[in-house]
This record gives sequence, structure tokens and C-alpha cells, in this order.
Amino acid sequence: MHQVNQKKLLVMALYAGEIMLKNGAETYRVEDTIIRLCKSRKFPFVEAYATPTGIFISVDNDGEDLNEMITYVKRIQSRSINLNKVAEVNSFSRKFVDEDMSLEEAMAQLKAIDQLLPYPLPMEAFFGGIASGFFTLLFGGNHFDLVGALITSIFITVSVNKFSKLGLNSFLTYTTGGFIAALSAIIFSYLHPLIHVDKVIIGAIMVMVPGVAITNAVRDSISGDLVSGLSRGAEALLIATSIAFGVGFVLKTWIYLTGGRLI
Amino acid sequence: MIFYIKQFFYAFACTVGFAVIFNTPKSSLIKSGLAGAFGWSVYLIINQFTGSIVLSSFMASLCIGFVGEIFAILCKNPITVYIIPGIVPLVPGFGLYNTMLSLLEKEPDKALVYGSEVLMIAISIAGALTIVLSVNSFRKKFTTKWFN
Repeated sequence: MHQVNQKKLLVMALYAGEIMLKNGAETYRVEDTIIRLCKSRKFPFVEAYATPTGIFISVDNDGEDLNEMITYVKRIQSRSINLNKVAEVNSFSRKFVDEDMSLEEAMAQLKAIDQLLPYPLPMEAFFGGIASGFFTLLFGGNHFDLVGALITSIFITVSVNKFSKLGLNSFLTYTTGGFIAALSAIIFSYLHPLIHVDKVIIGAIMVMVPGVAITNAVRDSISGDLVSGLSRGAEALLIATSIAFGVGFVLKTWIYLTGGRLI
Repeated sequence: MIFYIKQFFYAFACTVGFAVIFNTPKSSLIKSGLAGAFGWSVYLIINQFTGSIVLSSFMASLCIGFVGEIFAILCKNPITVYIIPGIVPLVPGFGLYNTMLSLLEKEPDKALVYGSEVLMIAISIAGALTIVLSVNSFRKKFTTKWFN
């Protein structure tokens, strides 16, 4: 393979890592991909360190020249889960390592991957509704609860999507989500006597609750990435608190008005 | 038996729904749904025999990891694509929410019960997935050593 420009290669690898990390890949996979991409072009020293909030990479050649050592830092502001992009970058890195691809072409491919559109919002909202509805069935709800959770969850998915597009912080977004969940669960329970408030809330907030985040936090900690584990765990706790805040606010008000217990 | 078949279908639909939310590639939607449904069935069966949520979560995650690994090898996708939607029916998101709700309600003893359960379930799922991934990376090393 021909010698490539060190700086361009580093920028390309950093971009690949950034796409993966922004879209929910594990940190060890990001580090692994960056190191593979750089090592494939014969750089003897590559070190990558990724946390959910940033990536650090250093690359060096053999020899005494100090100017050849380059380090890049990239700050990651927001994270979501888009497994399609993770899969695409993964197959891209396979191709880049196996073939003699030029850096310009690699950069163009990465840009195309970065601009892949997610599923359209109506489809996402509908499947979010399906996921929530069947979740209530898994947890012992009846078919009326399914309908309630399905409609509630469609509202939640749309509003969470719109709020995060507006650039609001996650606390406000998820508090509003919890607020909508509890409010519409109470409204549904008045519409039909067989709809349980708690079952509808359980199902509907499933599209927001950070179960996957807390599991990933423990996975990162087990594999030794303690900093990533802690920051993912903190994120999960914060999301859970904001949902509980929104739901608790509505339920408390409802209970003051009608009487009854919360948990 | 009817109960298990119904639950298998419910878990399948639930997992496919979450797979769309997580933007899983179109070709993998059904497969991640299958991983989730098998995992949930294992969870139900073991939970019925032992009554331990932690043990059943562990075995179910092993199953999901295993199924995900097979799909990952067959389709050359990263295993993340299959296991992230697959573990959704098992993950303790609702327990975490309950923990925080109890704290807001000033009931710390309930929060402790929910919270410790959340931690145990999360550790058992994460441990199972780590075991599957480590065995897989060992297998990769072994095959490259053996055949090259």
C-alpha cells in the first residue's frame, strides 16, 4: 500500500469514530475501529481513547522527528441510537482495511453515511406505539391497555422527537414525555373502565426509559472503561429522574384532586 | 403452551418496534425481533422454574447474545444491531423509573429495594453479554491462529 497523508488519515478515522459514538456504538468498538483504520495504513503507533463525551487519538511514525506526532481531540455533544449508521461504518471499515481505498473516497463514503436519513417520523411513532402496546401485554395488561399505551406512546414519540430537534436539553424533553404519558393514561382510564392507569404508563414510558443505557453502563464498566461506564450511568439516572418527575407531578396532582395512592 | 406462544409473539412485536426506534437496518428488523422473542421465552421458562429474576435475565441474555452472534456472523453486521433491541424486554428501565419515583415520593426503603434489583438485573444482563462477546473474540483469535 502507498504511503498516505498522516493528518488526512487521522481526520478520516476521527470522523468514523465520531459517527459511531454519536449513534450509540460501544466505546471499545469505537476505539477498535479507529485503531484498525490507522494501523491498516502502516502507522506503528496508534492510540485511541473514547468516552461517551469525547474522543482522543494520537498517531506517530517511526523515527526521531517530533513534528510527525499528531494528536486530535473531538468533543461529542449529543448521543442517540441509530444502529443503521453503526452497521454502515462497521462495513465501511472492513472495506477500507481490505482494499486500497484513497482517503478522499473514504471521506466521501463517510459523509454519505453521516447523511443517511433515519426512518420517517410517522413510521417511528407507529412502531413506538406497537412496542409500547405489546410491552403492556408482556407485563400483564389487557387489550384495552394495549390500545391506550399505543396511542399514548405515539404522542410521546412525536413530542420527544420534536423537542430534541428544537435543541432543548434532555431533562425538559423527558419531563414533558412523562407528563404526557401520565396525563393521557388518566384520560384513557376515564374513557374505559378496563384501562389501568399504571399499566398504560408502564407501557408508554418504555420508549423513553434508559434500560439499555444502564445495561451499557455496566457493560462498559465490566470491560474496564470505567469513565464511560460512569458517564452512561449518570445519563441513565438523569433520564429516569426526569421521567419520574413528569409522571409524578401529574399523578400527585390527580391524587390530590381525587384521593388514592401513588405506588 | 398457548400462553408461551402468545408471549413469544408479543415479545417479537415489541422488539421489532424498538428496533425501528433504534433505526436498525431494514434487513435486520425481523432478525433482531427473533433474538428478542427467543430471549423473552427463555426468561419466562426459567422464571417459572426458579422464580429468580436475576438468573432468568442472565440466561435470557446469554440466549440473545448467542442468537445475535449467529446472525452477526451470517449477515456480517456488528452484533450490537441485534442485541440492543433484543435485550429491551429484559432491561430494568421500568425499575429505574420506579426507583426514582420512590425517591421523589420520599420512600427511600422502596427506592433501595427497586434500586438494588435494577443493579442486579443490569449486572446479570451485562455479564451475560460480556461472556458471549469474550467467547466470540476468543473464537476469532483461535480460528485465525489455526487456519493461517
